[in-house]
Amino acid sequence: MAQRDTTTESRGSKKPMDPKVRKRLERQTIALTLIVVVPFLCLLTLFLLVFPRSTVSQIEKRDLATFPALSLESLLSGEFTRGVTEFYDDTVPFRDAFKNMGNQFKGLFGFAPSEDDIRFVDSPAIVKPKNDATADTATTTAATTVEGAASRQKSTTAAATTTTVPVNPYTKEEAETNWSNGLIVVKQDGHYRAMELFGGGGGTAYADALNALRASIGANVRIYSMPAPLASEFYTPLNAQDYTVSQSDCFNGVAAKLNGGITAINVCGALSAHASEPIYCRTDHHWQPLGAYYAAAEFAKAAGVPFADLSAYTQGANSGFVGTMYAFTDDSRILNDPEDFVYYVPKASYTADYYDLSFLYEYTDDLFAEVDTDNSYLMFMGGDSRVVQVNTGVKNGRTLLVIKDSYGNAEIPFYTSSFETIYVADMRYFECNLVDFINKREVTDVLFTMSAFSLVGDNADHLSALLSQSGTVPAVTTTTLPPTTDATEPTKITE
Amino acid sequence: MQFSSLFFLFFFLPICLICYFAAKKIQTKNVVLIAFSLVFYAWGCPWWTMIPLLGSTVFNWAIAKAAVKNRGAVAGKIAIGVGVAVNVALLMSFKYVGVFIPGTTDPSAFLPVGMSFYTFQSISYLLDCYWEKSKPQEDFSKFLLYITVFPQMSAGPIVRYGSVEKALSDRRTTAVDLYEGALRAMVGLAKKVIIADSLLPIVDSFFGKDVAGMSVLGTWYVVIVYSLYVYFDFSGYTDVALGLGRVFGFRFDENFRHPFACKTISEFWQRWHISLGSFFRDYLLYLPIGGKVHKYLNLFLVWFCTGMWHGATFNYILWGLYFGAFILLEQQIGKKRLKKWPVVLTHLYSKAVIIIGFGIFYFKDFGQLGQFFLNITGLSLITNGAPIADPVTWSSLTGNLFLVAAAILCSLPILPALKERVQNSNNTLVYTGGRVIASAACVAMLVICCILLASANSAPNLYFAF
Repeated sequence: MAQRDTTTESRGSKKPMDPKVRKRLERQTIALTLIVVVPFLCLLTLFLLVFPRSTVSQIEKRDLATFPALSLESLLSGEFTRGVTEFYDDTVPFRDAFKNMGNQFKGLFGFAPSEDDIRFVDSPAIVKPKNDATADTATTTAATTVEGAASRQKSTTAAATTTTVPVNPYTKEEAETNWSNGLIVVKQDGHYRAMELFGGGGGTAYADALNALRASIGANVRIYSMPAPLASEFYTPLNAQDYTVSQSDCFNGVAAKLNGGITAINVCGALSAHASEPIYCRTDHHWQPLGAYYAAAEFAKAAGVPFADLSAYTQGANSGFVGTMYAFTDDSRILNDPEDFVYYVPKASYTADYYDLSFLYEYTDDLFAEVDTDNSYLMFMGGDSRVVQVNTGVKNGRTLLVIKDSYGNAEIPFYTSSFETIYVADMRYFECNLVDFINKREVTDVLFTMSAFSLVGDNADHLSALLSQSGTVPAVTTTTLPPTTDATEPTKITE
Repeated sequence: MQFSSLFFLFFFLPICLICYFAAKKIQTKNVVLIAFSLVFYAWGCPWWTMIPLLGSTVFNWAIAKAAVKNRGAVAGKIAIGVGVAVNVALLMSFKYVGVFIPGTTDPSAFLPVGMSFYTFQSISYLLDCYWEKSKPQEDFSKFLLYITVFPQMSAGPIVRYGSVEKALSDRRTTAVDLYEGALRAMVGLAKKVIIADSLLPIVDSFFGKDVAGMSVLGTWYVVIVYSLYVYFDFSGYTDVALGLGRVFGFRFDENFRHPFACKTISEFWQRWHISLGSFFRDYLLYLPIGGKVHKYLNLFLVWFCTGMWHGATFNYILWGLYFGAFILLEQQIGKKRLKKWPVVLTHLYSKAVIIIGFGIFYFKDFGQLGQFFLNITGLSLITNGAPIADPVTWSSLTGNLFLVAAAILCSLPILPALKERVQNSNNTLVYTGGRVIASAACVAMLVICCILLASANSAPNLYFAF
């Protein structure tokens, strides 16, 4: 009671607080804090120790770290203990939920552009012409063997060439734009779209590899080069165009380096005409199957093969798709603005034989894998990790080999109406010698189709390796399942 | 191992605390702390990094005893000379060996974590013992604890032996220590995880590549962000070290006193990485060298060494000498005259010098550093045709406006002033309410830190590399 009186007395008074009261209040606040903090820390420790650990991040589209293998060598090098820390930190229970919470919090760091937020400050006017030699140097770091924007050199300063961006409703107007983790996020037609800007490049390694292949195989084998533009070619608004390079110009530059006997196909014009359709993912760094369809049509025209229109396909859609761009940008606006991933399953019969990277047969299944919505783009052949042989009902004696990165995957279903046999190999992982493969599999047409980044970046180096590597093509034995017909839904690939 | 990892916070630390507080006797507590400190140090590092750590500890413990025993005699002088020389040679050999290995891009690639800190602690111990400022430690385990105690081991501060001598033998953790220590550690963690780790991507996205295309204002914006990043990264880590030290009953000296609140460069260095500055002041500045030009030579030596301490690349040495030049300039102007300058002017002058200095600190590549100077001075408007401002910078600034503003505010001594007012308040409501709000804010920051750490790994502390 006496203490309470003293407390009341000191409240609002200029008289120094009684040291005993001060001490008591100090003890109380300390006790209160420790009562909250200590159990909180204990619970959090238990949570991390007891709850099942995450193994996959759907947001980041990757497998999380695994517990490291213990060996004397790994222990002494520090690799094991480093691995334990990485495992513990990477595989937090409900990691994706925490990631979303973290991104929501980071969204409070500044102003999110609003409808009234008018673009940028004064036009930067920092475009500089760049010659091809410097372009090549610049783009050595513009892409890596790992796909995806997170692994790429981001371009947030001025892009370095004069541009001739295809004119469409999106490129001739300004739009709400901001940079997020080095990528560009624009708001168009009421939706957010994240894009990688293109830094340009000479594509010399790519052209050299194709020319070397041309010289190594018979003239009867046709070679085509059809790079796949990134979304920024068609959707970069006027106010951000000084920061990206025309991919169409780049493709033309690379085409000029190709020797005779190689057909270069530039699909930028064809795609730009369809820019108002959903030809590119807004939340992923790939195109939508519809974009791949229009590109495939251009290739079929150039190759002189039949090509079925979309009525020959059964349309399916994964609603609520949020692709890689959310993880690349950490921008919660992308998470909150999902899209439909629309795919087209051929009605015509075909079979797909799956091989390992050295072309040893593994199994036969559909071209479409059953995947989670967030991994929709992985539905085509389950990704890039296998060589695939597609046997179609077409009888024209044409055998196509597609050398591609992941962009090429979405094109494959559309070639089932064009070629008798289709081989699909990812240039980054294929272990066979390319010339040996073409000769032994009696390939008549070779298509190189990959993203603009792969065209001018380090991925192109894999192409020359394909020509020089020693992996020979083994004899093939397959157990073919009955051809699929009238498929409407992807079926699960079982491994 | 670094503080800003879930493994440390929610695995290593709880086990360490349980074992530590379960031990009754101080000897047992010391053994527990040494054991956990060695595990902390070795975790994630190659086994051989333990050799220089333990080897130098044994050597310094023994040489200090020998030097003190023969103090004044030739043998004593030789012992102290050899002791200091061996420490310097060991540090230099690890720190700069990369310079002589062809193909090594980072000359400090072979430097064991924390070596710069524990070597300087050892040198200070040797000289303090020899100069009779401290008594040599008879018990090797206590000396080992002084060198290795994990809160300060990997990134400082450089703890003077005299400041912890008593605590090595006799220390207790009161509830106040636990409270103050925990809150300090939480604040430090928030500075590192919430602010520094969020500022770093801004810097990387602009300075991580050719800066030739950057605008003038863009360069200023990013270098200011980088200065804030370095401050929050290093001082946040130091706060965690001081907080954890307090939990274990140690009182380490402050290493930062809101350096951006300074008015002169001399004052900045009295507030920034204080333990390094005071080390050079106490052990290098007053060395009897240089004759008549003693003052200038020693000043040059101190700032050359300050730069060198950070690494073997040219930019660090330039960085040290750059600050040395401004300190010399201020000495020539005189403190009294400087005090007469308008406050706004002194703040503008000191911040500009400091911020440009951090640009030197960042760019190891000469060409990029040159371009940075062109940008920051506006000469790039002429040489490169660069713009004054650009939309990317504007986009980044608006998208991170609250973060950058919060970082600037938190770098100033506003919160400590508020804390002091609460502490000294005679109003029970203000006193209690203030303390409760402070505690709640710290808990909230801890929750946010956990969420951010759970969703992405924290960047390693910048000063690990030094």
